[in-house]
Amino acid sequence: MTTMELQHEKPRDVAEPYDGLAIEVRALTKTYSDGVDAVKAIDFDVERGEVFGLLGPNGAGKSTTIGMLTTTLSPTSGTALLAGLDVAREPVAARQMSSVVFQDPVVDRSFTGRRNLALHARLWGVAADEAAARIAEIAAAFDIADILDRPVSGYSGGQRRRLEIARALVSDPQVLFLDEPTVGLDPRIRHELLDVIAGLRAAGEVTILLTTHYLDEAERLCDRVAIMHAGRIVALGTPSALRMSMGAELLEVRVDGDAQSALDVMLARGIAGDEAFAVGSTVTIPLRGRPAADAIAAVHEIGIPATAVSARPPTLDDVYLRLTGEKGLS
Amino acid sequence: MTAISPEIAFPTKRQRSRSLSVTATLAGRRFALTSRTPRELLVPLLTPVLFALVIAPALKKALHTSASYESYVAVGTIGLLIPLNTMFSGLSVLVDQESGARRELLAAPIHRALLVAGNLVVALATTALQVGVLLGFAVLRRIHFHLTGTGLLWFLAVALLFTVAMYGIAETLAARVPRSEEYIARLPAIAIVPWFLAGSLFPVTSLPLVLAWIARFLPLTHALALMRWGLLHDSSGLHNVWRSSNTTATASLSLAVVAVFALVLTAVSVRVFKRAAVQ
Repeated sequence: MTTMELQHEKPRDVAEPYDGLAIEVRALTKTYSDGVDAVKAIDFDVERGEVFGLLGPNGAGKSTTIGMLTTTLSPTSGTALLAGLDVAREPVAARQMSSVVFQDPVVDRSFTGRRNLALHARLWGVAADEAAARIAEIAAAFDIADILDRPVSGYSGGQRRRLEIARALVSDPQVLFLDEPTVGLDPRIRHELLDVIAGLRAAGEVTILLTTHYLDEAERLCDRVAIMHAGRIVALGTPSALRMSMGAELLEVRVDGDAQSALDVMLARGIAGDEAFAVGSTVTIPLRGRPAADAIAAVHEIGIPATAVSARPPTLDDVYLRLTGEKGLS
Repeated sequence: MTAISPEIAFPTKRQRSRSLSVTATLAGRRFALTSRTPRELLVPLLTPVLFALVIAPALKKALHTSASYESYVAVGTIGLLIPLNTMFSGLSVLVDQESGARRELLAAPIHRALLVAGNLVVALATTALQVGVLLGFAVLRRIHFHLTGTGLLWFLAVALLFTVAMYGIAETLAARVPRSEEYIARLPAIAIVPWFLAGSLFPVTSLPLVLAWIARFLPLTHALALMRWGLLHDSSGLHNVWRSSNTTATASLSLAVVAVFALVLTAVSVRVFKRAAVQ
């Protein structure tokens, strides 16, 4: 489908039910005023009710993409539709369809949690009686009912994060954007939050676009993921399909010294192919049906300073490392 | 004749009602935040009250001037109070950007100009409160005003428009500078320097010729001349600016000058805010 095909003849009435894609992105590009190409002509679709992950290292363009989809950044070119509404041509209507949980805390700390939720409801045009009922329902579901009348300044990091997700859901959005929602949280709170998001996924009532560089989060929560690197989408698919793109088994060689030099030797000797990669002190080689024992023997024969050699199934980390050349946080 | 495109429609009654409701919500939020930080209300008030109640009587005594000088300075300090208060209101916009819920507001399905409107409503309310306090203190200090119904209307009109103009500058600056430190560094040049040139403590005709001409282009000069006409029935400021003895005409002209500044600076502030919101 081309960019032109995505553009509607006239603005869609937001009151009309819409059963098309939740998010449609075509050739979306962002070049900042200082000349930095943050996002380079990316394309992807997100189905309704799907949890879609944008993975990538810092600076890959994930937050810029969310910024454009939530109309807090203007695209340089390309098209993005939220529930059929063009974010550039109908920004207010597009914002009506979505809510955002930002990477950094974005709350009125001196207000109570309830007041933060009520403010969101009013700005999104939720009727007062409906808002009160929805706040009560969501507060109970997110286990924040007891603290809702306390100022947010007294909340723990996890409570504040749960409040921010609850706030985003008060307006019953069709699309929920979660921009690295677990960054900076301690492991216990992080796992609590992952349960909350998993619950949303199980309910299937809201489409979620999630950015993260925690690969275990993506693997656990996302129906499909797109890996971004230097402003481009370099891989897109289900976590299992992306894992399988590396084959059924990998050889992992830990070396004492420069892993890149060891990889160069293995490439020269035909032990490793183009898909092999080196990160830190580890060389990773997709086996592609070759018996692991043969590969291990070949590594020992060429005499590189290996401290450990093992075979294992691929993970999403391997896909990420091969495509971005950077370590994810799993 | 150019046909109006169907997409460019005038707002419906429902849309206007929604805009008013949203502005009230945003103003309520801003007012609640402001009331939790009393410094935003008190700090801008301190210096003007000091000028009106302590420095003006001291100057009167030292310079052997008449009691009317106290009244002159008391009105002049309103010209300091309004810029200081509006600039402090702009500072709270920056604080909101740095550590508040500004991004949530930008993601809301509302026209972004309403965010500026909500802040402006609160800046107007706090300014009205502070000017009221200042004048109240002045009356308690037995400073004399010559107030009539018409004079009060002139005063209220120019004070309102001048506050709108100054808030336009504050909102524009808040959208343009990245940090509150940089904002504060610019505050004296915008809020205080013009005050010394605009006939606050002495008539603009006392200034060197070049500065006197510069003063005539400052909105504060027109605002103060009109405030004095409104509160003191003193038309000398208007005469000094326009060199005409037709007070109604010169008062109207000065009001028009301040109104143009208010209109242009508000339009600029909305435009700059909307552009900054997507950068």
